[in-house]
Amino acid sequence: MKKLLVLMLILMLALTGCWSGGTDQPTDGDETGVEEPSSVPKEFTWTYSGEITTLNYLVTASTNEFGVAANLVDSLIDYDRYGVVQPALATEWTTSDDGLVWTFKIREGVKWVTHEGIEYAEVTAQDFVDAAEYLLDSTNESKTANIFYSVIKNAEEYYNGDITDFSQVGVKAVDKHTLEYTLKQPTPYFLSMLNYVAFFPVNGQFLEEVGDRFGTDHKNFLYNGAFIMEIFEPQTRRILVKNENYWDKDNIFLTKINYLYNKESATLAPELFARGEIDYAAIPSSIIDEWMKDSKKKEMVRPNRTSFYTYFYALNFDPKFDEQYEPDNWKIAVNNKNFRKSLFHALDRKAAMLTAEPYNPEQKLSNTITPRNFVSIGGSDYTQIGKLNDFTTTDSFNKTKAVEYKEKAMEELQGNANFPVIVYMPYNSGSTEWANRAQVIEQQMENLLGKDYIDIVIAAKPPTNFLSENRRNGNYAFLEANWGPDYADPETYTGPFYPGGTYNFPEFVEGYTEANGEKSYTNLVDTAKAEVLDIAKRYELFADAEAFLIEEAFVIPYALGGGGYSASRLNPFESQYSPFGVSAERFKGQHLLEKPMNTEQYHEEREAWEKAREKALK
Amino acid sequence: MGSKAISKLSDGISQDLFEFAGYDEEEAKRAGYSNYSYWRSTWQVFIKNRVALVLLILMTTVLVFTLIQPYLPNQKLPTKIYIDESTGMQLSNHKPDSEFWFGTNSIGQDIWARIWSGTRTSLLIGLAVGFFEALVGITVGAMWGYIRPLDRPITEVYNVINNVPKTIILILLTYIMRPGLGTMIFAMCMTGWINMARFVRNLIIIIRDREYNLASKCLGTPTRRIITKNLLPYLVSVIMLRMALAIPLAIGYEVFLTYIGLGLPVSIPSLGNLINEGRLLMMAPSLRYQLIFPALVLSIITISFYVMGNVFSDAADPRNHV
Amino acid sequence: MLKYSIKRLLQSLVTLFIIITIVFLLMRLMPEEGYFGDEFDKLDVAQREAILASMGLRDPIHIQLGNFYKDLFSGDLGTSIIYRPKVPITEIIADKLPYSLYFGLVAMGISLLAGIPLGALMARSKNKLWDKLGTGYIVFINAVPAAVYFLFLQLYVTDIFKLPILFRPDKPVSWILPAISMALGSTAHYAMWMRRYMVDEINKDYVRLARAKGLRNQTIMLKHVFRNAFVPMAQYLPTSLLFTIAGSIYIESLYSIPGMGGLLVDVIQRQDNSLVQALVLIFSSIGIFGLFLGDILMAIFDPRINLQKKEGAR
Repeated sequence: MKKLLVLMLILMLALTGCWSGGTDQPTDGDETGVEEPSSVPKEFTWTYSGEITTLNYLVTASTNEFGVAANLVDSLIDYDRYGVVQPALATEWTTSDDGLVWTFKIREGVKWVTHEGIEYAEVTAQDFVDAAEYLLDSTNESKTANIFYSVIKNAEEYYNGDITDFSQVGVKAVDKHTLEYTLKQPTPYFLSMLNYVAFFPVNGQFLEEVGDRFGTDHKNFLYNGAFIMEIFEPQTRRILVKNENYWDKDNIFLTKINYLYNKESATLAPELFARGEIDYAAIPSSIIDEWMKDSKKKEMVRPNRTSFYTYFYALNFDPKFDEQYEPDNWKIAVNNKNFRKSLFHALDRKAAMLTAEPYNPEQKLSNTITPRNFVSIGGSDYTQIGKLNDFTTTDSFNKTKAVEYKEKAMEELQGNANFPVIVYMPYNSGSTEWANRAQVIEQQMENLLGKDYIDIVIAAKPPTNFLSENRRNGNYAFLEANWGPDYADPETYTGPFYPGGTYNFPEFVEGYTEANGEKSYTNLVDTAKAEVLDIAKRYELFADAEAFLIEEAFVIPYALGGGGYSASRLNPFESQYSPFGVSAERFKGQHLLEKPMNTEQYHEEREAWEKAREKALK
Repeated sequence: MGSKAISKLSDGISQDLFEFAGYDEEEAKRAGYSNYSYWRSTWQVFIKNRVALVLLILMTTVLVFTLIQPYLPNQKLPTKIYIDESTGMQLSNHKPDSEFWFGTNSIGQDIWARIWSGTRTSLLIGLAVGFFEALVGITVGAMWGYIRPLDRPITEVYNVINNVPKTIILILLTYIMRPGLGTMIFAMCMTGWINMARFVRNLIIIIRDREYNLASKCLGTPTRRIITKNLLPYLVSVIMLRMALAIPLAIGYEVFLTYIGLGLPVSIPSLGNLINEGRLLMMAPSLRYQLIFPALVLSIITISFYVMGNVFSDAADPRNHV
Repeated sequence: MLKYSIKRLLQSLVTLFIIITIVFLLMRLMPEEGYFGDEFDKLDVAQREAILASMGLRDPIHIQLGNFYKDLFSGDLGTSIIYRPKVPITEIIADKLPYSLYFGLVAMGISLLAGIPLGALMARSKNKLWDKLGTGYIVFINAVPAAVYFLFLQLYVTDIFKLPILFRPDKPVSWILPAISMALGSTAHYAMWMRRYMVDEINKDYVRLARAKGLRNQTIMLKHVFRNAFVPMAQYLPTSLLFTIAGSIYIESLYSIPGMGGLLVDVIQRQDNSLVQALVLIFSSIGIFGLFLGDILMAIFDPRINLQKKEGAR
């Protein structure tokens, strides 16, 4: 037995030896030789659990992927830490009087470099035109082309093949350093869109050289951003090093970023952080109590900022679910305002949120569809404008009101609808939190309103095709849904509810029809969309439209994405701030903290940041 | 009689020492009869092993208990969410105490009730799958191994079935059918029997050409009889072990399916999703009870079936019967 | 034997062809939403159609199948469509295969070297100390869910020996624990079956005869019992390598090993048709060849086994 053991060990060591001898890995930092001797290398290491499929920023629409690309390639404009637009690749810009033609002056002397840091070419206006041509070629399978062609003149026609002459598309290189975009119609939020990957540049010559392989790995890629990807080993690691040719390199304080892959990151990262092997770890809500009670770990953990993803509960006006759950009965009930309002006030959002965020559930709740701090005008936040302000600070959950409305609804619906009304609520069985939440909501609402009034039926549905099968097909009565912004303007949050949206089909509501044959909400949004010059007025009109949705209880606003807790050696308030686009993913301007921030420091910093932001926005 | 000296052997033979025995059918039968019964002896050898006996009783009790548990007084519902009186919110992560014997989970459901409900689900899956596997697997395997003309075609069918990834079939199944107990059992049965069949086939190939089988064949014994009387009894011990393991394997497979996201919905408790939920809490020592209790129950079930299977397969070997 | 082998190999090719066709068709049954993942909502209809058309999914099914065969017979596995778009599949697999092979072989080596002797030892000392210890180990491995004890080992062993938690290709010391963990399950498996078969064998008449003849216990065990008991094990050896590779999904995700363990499951879920097809082709080739090799191995270890069917030959 002993011999065997020895043999085993020898065999193993031999194999290990052979193996590691065979691969030539550049060892850690000190050999790269690109750092200035004066500055201490600032290395940031963290883990990630979802591998990127591509670096091709002209194709991907996933945050995970363009988040990496955003650090490698710069955009025309950028945002600072308070969300104020800053020049980046464009140094200045002008708009024509009709708001249709935007002209950008491209920064001179910015270089494209290869993964080895060797200069390849200069960044010119033509690079943006080449990028657009690539993006609008439908065989390139770009997932962001629609964002581009929703604003640029003739772009959609070119994408669909209705026109074949690319010079008719509204993007032109006037000279080497002047770029001109022509829009379909005046678009007040156009500038914010330039921060998105669909408007990134690419070097046409390089694109031709590498062909299909563009963006498949770090070698088939050109860099003009703050970092260069030195190593790309899928499912193992990737390493970014500072780009010494970057035009704004003085604002880059990290010299190296190590991304380590781990599929079980959610479970292992907190332990890795505690052992000092990494500098950032998300702390899952299930163990946050544990960390807060540990005197040492307590000092290392802090809340995260919430994101601009919005979650809400939708009441379906065009129910198409199975007969056994009585869709016709639901249709009668949902068209009664008092019934809707009884549900609106009966949903205990805090209880629901406890399934995702047990430690500080209020942090993530949202009383509006559009998240706070998304856009603001004249120093006041969008959620505090117009009629929307009535809802911003009040919790929709209200036991007395819920019961009041229930009684009214029962009176009005008596004889029309059968009680209890079956509320058919599917959920995605792939998500434990969602499954838990569905169970909590079922019991909480039934207990409050009584089982003689509603009967919530929860149904586990497979993750495969979940949205198509359930939400888009109208195969539900009551459903948790979410939406993220496509540009920095409140209009983006009307998408789910405007006719043609595949959420809760409010255009099928009975009544609310106005003189022009359209529903009230459609008219409200159309009026707001038409207001393109007076931004304050525009925002107010959109706020009123959103207030209408909430007041009539077409939807129940629920929560924001993001949030939660993390242990990190980065200061979240140093990072660039933008409601939409790639700036928030960038490491520009961030320092490595000596010690991770704790919760008190976070709140202090947050307050200071909010004050400074108010000043910066005025 | 004994005191009489016998001087000559024939002298001592007197007629009255012998008498004719009549033909007694009963007695005649008994001479050719041994009270050996295969299953009784197997049983006797089995219960000689104390541990196995205890485990058998334990498993029977568990089985009975999972069935009657919901009807006992003072039991909580596995899916009911309990509310903390002081906060009005869910009673989440409540430590085990006299009220909640195994504590509550993150949304305030009683883990004790969930474990028994989960054990019921998992045992049902295990038994159903194990039974189906044995039935189909042994039948197909025996034919595959013994009937030579069938070897090629079944091998090809095996190759095809075995190499089409189960995950594709599972995803398509859950896509067509709704996720749930029936789908899970159906999916496991669809994919599980094939290995049992191959296992039996290999064993049969090994022994089918042994002399006693050749002899049987020469004597004109029909194939069915050779398989059932010559081959299968020989394999009972190994097959029993395999079957005993099939149940914990099915439960383990369920844990795996839950891990890759194709398991039962959380609203149907099973040992698989209880363990998977608990796994995420491994890093929080004070919450580990949510992992330990279901893992413990799963372990006990597995160990019991494993040990019983081993002892039973020893006992099923006639050479161990004395 | 040679003729038999050739014939079987040729047949295997037909089987492979059937398998890959079935898989091809099954993948086409998958829902279309799956090709877009979370991005579905943000795309408009024209865009979705364009993307599906560009992936070749809008052609009639027989054309798709025809194209697929054409590429396959010219030896072109194609490029991935979702997992790493536009990257040749050969390149993706070439990156991963070495890790899988290495860990698979080492784990199999460890488990054979540990499991078979352990099983033999247990059978020899049936119901004595070794048997009980061994049984304890086997029971533990089978009873505790792998997903649980792997994580436990990873956390505590690395803590005690000050090893890195994650696997690093350039740090040999980080290779040891995953390889050992991977071998734990199959060690128990081998030991259990070895013991079972040996115990069955020990009770057979010829062993009693050998004992009666006065042969040394050692000789009986090695020459008779072990050899006979090893036959059914031999059949499984080739395929078990495949299982070790494909079954290492837990270990690979825990230690971040870039192997092929979870790859198949992953790409099926993401509906990367071409990669699924290529992987199935590879895995089933190994599987079919393994079964065949197993049969041959079995026949070599036990000359009584006759795989060739010849009517009336015996």
